[in-house]
Amino acid sequence: MTEEQSTDVVRLKLPHEENMAKIVRLTTAAVASKTGLNLDQADDLQTGLDELFRLFLADENPPLGRLCIRFNLGPEKLEVATEGISHDLFKDNEINHYSRFILERIADRMEQIPNPRGGYEVILVKSLAE
Amino acid sequence: MHRRPHKSLSRAEIQSLFRIYQDSHDPDIKSMLVNAHLDLAHSLARRFINRGEPLDDLVQVASMGLLKAIDRFDPGRNVQFTTYAVPTIVGELKRYFRDRASTIRLPRGLRERSHALNSAIQRFSQEHGRSPGVPDIAREMGLSEEEVIEGLEGAESVSVASLNTSSSEAGDLSLLDIIGGEDKTLKILDERLSLAGAMSALSSREQNLLYLRFIEGRSQTEIAQRLGISQMHVSRLLRRTLQTLRQSLKTREI
Repeated sequence: MTEEQSTDVVRLKLPHEENMAKIVRLTTAAVASKTGLNLDQADDLQTGLDELFRLFLADENPPLGRLCIRFNLGPEKLEVATEGISHDLFKDNEINHYSRFILERIADRMEQIPNPRGGYEVILVKSLAE
Repeated sequence: MHRRPHKSLSRAEIQSLFRIYQDSHDPDIKSMLVNAHLDLAHSLARRFINRGEPLDDLVQVASMGLLKAIDRFDPGRNVQFTTYAVPTIVGELKRYFRDRASTIRLPRGLRERSHALNSAIQRFSQEHGRSPGVPDIAREMGLSEEEVIEGLEGAESVSVASLNTSSSEAGDLSLLDIIGGEDKTLKILDERLSLAGAMSALSSREQNLLYLRFIEGRSQTEIAQRLGISQMHVSRLLRRTLQTLRQSLKTREI
């Protein structure tokens, strides 16, 4: 992660509750607006985070107990890192195919790295260039 | 909504098409009949425009009424099709409002704001040829960015259930089929997503939408322009389609 190069960081720590989905959507919309993303791009990001939040909800025992979302608002890109999902998106099954397919298409870059604290960290990057 | 240009047909030609359709149920003939009467559906939809629903949605509902009317019309009776179709389409529109009233009743202010947002987004996209940002819409509407974000989120709640029911009620011909779908859509989605079983839970319209957005990589604004509907409408349809697909996958996993 390149948080040091970011100008602003917004963090969310969300409990394992379905009604938190709206907080994710509203925060994502606000961050997207602040970084200058258009409505298409903001909607894409909401779709991606909605997908990740659903994966988190589907976890009976989420590794961190909560979902941590970190928005790094850089000058050239918006990087969104989520921690707290135990789901390995690269494991071969239909749900993973689906989630990865969606995430790879809504972001300019998507990666998943093992999280030393448990589970995986999923990073979505949206380029801010025109 | 986008309507294909069509040669206007005489009353005799329409009657003749209906007779052929009654015997053959040929989808091409049905498509010709739909195209010949889309203006009627559009004009009836416009009668309901001041009730807080986006015109796109109303036109879709009216078009479903039109499809039903075409399926049920008996050319053997000495009645013009339009005489039969108008009450069927209007009935469909009224049913739509009745169903909506029984499921979700949102504050009027929210519905009005959602409608105004929808119009502002469409206007901006048409004028500038790109999707607007929240600040663009805020400026256009004289609202704060927070109000726009809240309004956009509220607009999601204004989303209608009716659109999902359309293709199954209308038989094989969905609105997107009429507009022009991709024959190879399902095959490609199957190959790319490896979700053959789950994809069958989606209507052809929903499959087409996924194809346009995730295989062809078109933006919501581009899809909206291509289909003649609003970006907000595309957003709602996509979200619901993904939800259906996810649910289908979950069911299969169980």
